[in-house]
Amino acid sequence: MTEALWQPFYLSLRISALATLVALLIAVPVAYLNARRRYWGKSLFEGLIIVPMVLPPTVVGYLIIVMLGAKGLTGQFLNRWFSYSIMFRMEGAVLAAAIVALPLLYLPARAAFAAIDRELEDLARVEGANRFQLFWHVSLPMSMKGLTSGVMLAFARALGEFGATVMVFGIRENKLTLPLSIYFDYTDNNMGRAMPAVVILCLLSLAITLLYNRSALSRQT
Amino acid sequence: MKRFLSFIFVFLISSAAAAETITVAAAISLKDALTVAAKQYKAQTGEEVEFSFAASGQLASQIQNGAPVDLFISAANKQIEDLSKAGAIDDSTRKVIAGNSLVVIVPPENKSPPDSLKGLAGGKIKRIAIGEPRTVPAGQYAQQAIKHAGIAAAVKDKLVMGANVRQVLDYVERGEVSASLVYATDAKMAGEKVRVAATVDADAHEPIVYPAAVVKASKKAVAAKKFLEFVLSEKGQAALKEFGFSPPPAVAVKSPK
Repeated sequence: MTEALWQPFYLSLRISALATLVALLIAVPVAYLNARRRYWGKSLFEGLIIVPMVLPPTVVGYLIIVMLGAKGLTGQFLNRWFSYSIMFRMEGAVLAAAIVALPLLYLPARAAFAAIDRELEDLARVEGANRFQLFWHVSLPMSMKGLTSGVMLAFARALGEFGATVMVFGIRENKLTLPLSIYFDYTDNNMGRAMPAVVILCLLSLAITLLYNRSALSRQT
Repeated sequence: MKRFLSFIFVFLISSAAAAETITVAAAISLKDALTVAAKQYKAQTGEEVEFSFAASGQLASQIQNGAPVDLFISAANKQIEDLSKAGAIDDSTRKVIAGNSLVVIVPPENKSPPDSLKGLAGGKIKRIAIGEPRTVPAGQYAQQAIKHAGIAAAVKDKLVMGANVRQVLDYVERGEVSASLVYATDAKMAGEKVRVAATVDADAHEPIVYPAAVVKASKKAVAAKKFLEFVLSEKGQAALKEFGFSPPPAVAVKSPK
C-alpha cells in the first residue's frame, strides 16, 4: 500500500478501535445496570445514549465543539488552565466516533444482559459469588455473543464516521481518516485518487457485516 | 490472546514522534501552489510545513474554536476580518500573499469566442454560468464585473448559477453553457478542456485577494512568520504564479467596507 493510502487506513483503524473501546467501557456497565434496575430518569438517560443513532453527525460535531472547543462551555476552562482544545486532536475524532458508535453497542449489550436467566444468577449468588464475581464469571460470559456483535457494529459505524469528524478533527493532509480522505480528494477534484479508499471501506464494511451475520445466525441455533 | 491484546494496546497508544512543524490552514484553492512552495521551503530551510486545506470559512471557524493552527491563509478578506474582530489573529502580521483574476472561458470547440466581457451580451452566447453570488465569492466578483460592464440587463436571462466554482467550470467543459466566469487559476487547472476567451479588468470588481495572518494562539509564531515571508519572497511568488495566481495587488490590504 502506498503512503497516501496507508496513513488514512492506519489512522482510521486506530480511531475506530479506540472509539469502540471507549464505547464498550461505557456501554457494558450502563447496559448491565439498566437491564436490571429501575431508577428515576432511566428512560431519559437511555434516550441520550441512543439518540446519536438518529441525530445528524453534524449535530454531534456542533455539540462537541460547543462543549469542548476553546470557547466551549467546559472547553474554555480547559483552554485557560491547560491551553487545551479538542479541535484537530485525535481525542476529538475518537470522541465523535465513540458517541455515534455507542448506541450500536449499548442496545445489543442491554438485550444480552436482559436475556440472561435470572435463576442462574441467583444460583451463583447462593453459591457465594459476590457482585463482581457474578458479573465477571456468569453474566459477562453469558452475554459474550451479544457483546461481540455489538462491538462489530460499533466498530463499523466508527470507521464510517464523517460529519462530526470533519468539524472537530478537521482536514489535514497527513492526518486523514479514510472517509475524510475521500471527501478531500473530491474537493480537490481528484475522484480517481479516492477510489482505493472507497474500495477498502466497502470491503471492510462488507467483511464486518458478514461476520456479524454469521455470529447472529449461530446464536439462533 | 494476552500477547495479541498487548500488541493492540501498543498500537492504540503509540503516536508518531512530534516534530517541530508548523500547521498552516489554507484555502483549498491554494493547495497545489502552496504544496510546491512548502517543498521548496523545506529544501531551503529544512523546516516542515503541515497543511489543512478546506473552505476558508470552515478553517476560520475551526481556528476560532481553538484549532492549533499557526498560520491562516484565506481566499477572501472576510474570514481574516472575522478572526481579527474575534482577536484570534495577530493583526500586525496580516499580509496579502496573492491575487487572482476573473476570466471568461468558453468550450474549446468555440473558435470565435467574444474577446471581452461585453461580448457576452451578443446573440451567439446562449447561456452563461457564474457561481451563486450569495455563497460563491467568484460569483460575487462575476456579478460585480457584469454590472460594471453595463451588460447586466442584457445577460440577465442567460445566467446559470453554479453551487461552486467546480460546477461552473464543469458546465463549460461539458458544453452545457456557452461561457463561464471563473478564476484564472481554475481555468489554468482545467487546461485543454476550456478555452480562455478574455481576462476581466481588475477594476471591474473588488480586488480578489488571498490574505494571510499568524494565529494569535500559535506557539510557533516565529516559524509561521518565516514561512509567510518565504511565500512572499521571489521563490514563493514564482510557485504561486506557476498556478495562475497574480502578485498581491497594491491596494487590497483594507477590507472593502
